[in-house]
Amino acid sequence: MDEKTSLKYQMLCAWSGPLFLVAFIYFWGMMGFNLPAPPSPALGAGELAARYVEHLGGIRVGFLVSMIVMTLYIPWTAVLSVQMMRIEGRSPVLALIQLIGGALTVPVVSISSVFWVAAAYRPQRAPEITQALTDSGWLIIDTLWACTTWQMVAAAVAGLHDKSAKPLFPRWLCFVTIFCGLSFAPATMTGILKTGPFAWDGVLSFYFPYFCWLFWFAFASVYMILEVARRRQALDFPSPSSSARLAHA
Amino acid sequence: MNALPLPAPLSPASPRRLPGDRDVWIFICAELFAFGLFFVAYMHYRSVSVALFNDSQLGLDRSLGALNTILLLTSSWAVVSAVRAARLGRIVAVPRYLAFGIALGLAFMVVKYFEYGAKLNAGITVTTDMFYMFYFCLTGIHLMHVVAGTIVLFVIWLNARAHLYHTGNTTGIEAGASYWHMVDLLWIFLFALLYLLR
Repeated sequence: MDEKTSLKYQMLCAWSGPLFLVAFIYFWGMMGFNLPAPPSPALGAGELAARYVEHLGGIRVGFLVSMIVMTLYIPWTAVLSVQMMRIEGRSPVLALIQLIGGALTVPVVSISSVFWVAAAYRPQRAPEITQALTDSGWLIIDTLWACTTWQMVAAAVAGLHDKSAKPLFPRWLCFVTIFCGLSFAPATMTGILKTGPFAWDGVLSFYFPYFCWLFWFAFASVYMILEVARRRQALDFPSPSSSARLAHA
Repeated sequence: MNALPLPAPLSPASPRRLPGDRDVWIFICAELFAFGLFFVAYMHYRSVSVALFNDSQLGLDRSLGALNTILLLTSSWAVVSAVRAARLGRIVAVPRYLAFGIALGLAFMVVKYFEYGAKLNAGITVTTDMFYMFYFCLTGIHLMHVVAGTIVLFVIWLNARAHLYHTGNTTGIEAGASYWHMVDLLWIFLFALLYLLR
């Protein structure tokens, strides 16, 4: 494959980022009724089962589609890996950490949705079973945050070492990325607490860390698209300075 | 046009220069924002059940909290002294001050270990009530920051022992010191909110 064709696929992969962002917020968040507020872990089993019956169609379709949408994370993680490998050179260990972290984020997020689809699968069953399935889904997505943190911190550290004239990520974004990755940490408390800001529907375990994740994802996507665009332009209109820059990078 | 006076360029020693690294300051601002959220959440839940919070607060060991405040304030003084020594070119004194700061950071962790231990032995855990949920979560997250800050100080100590910091290069030590002061500042807020506020 020639460079031009490869860059075309890299551009498509980078654009899977914005597409993921919009589709995930719509299907996982709005249609699956996790926004404006997820079901409270303090709900009784009966109330929770009634919530499934009330929103049955939205929960089923929203989470089933969001499992497919989540796989857009795969091409996005791949193009970020390639861009990081260019920074790191011969032994791209940070790119590999990022790749594995991103690859593991996909099952973490989608398997939790499987549990919610399973909870909605038989709405007339004993409510305690529905509650157990709902609990499992939330505990999977919230307590396994560290996989994604590895992805983000590795990307940020590589970004800080980017010595090319036009770095992949600005330095401020690298520091903010580390912060965003660590902002997931309170979600571990969702494994114990049922009320308050550290429960799975709380400000500090739901709204703030999920916002931080998608904030990073949105900004990283923009800079990754710009990076591919610069490389395409350098290929189409080679100038002495740009070719020297790319050769150096 | 040429007659317009140009602003004098800031010299490295100018007092108006931002100490450390601008992008590290962005990180610190993000941290302060997150803790700001923690404090707002605490005040909100406290306002809903003031009596419970006041009652449970009596179970905290104020003297251990005050001891930790003194430890962190003193460590901040040690780190400031290290930065000043680096700026003045007294490069032998830099790692000594930093080692003192690190020792105080470790002492903070030891005090917290005994404080948590006493609570757990008394059967008080994160699920006891809303006050202790905040107590364990907020001081626990802060403790993670003390650990991270101590690691930062340790890295700076290694660099200082290699005589990396001197009058011409203080960016790294200033950036690390800024982070440590943030850890100290957050503890002062936590001490006031959790241990003292009635």
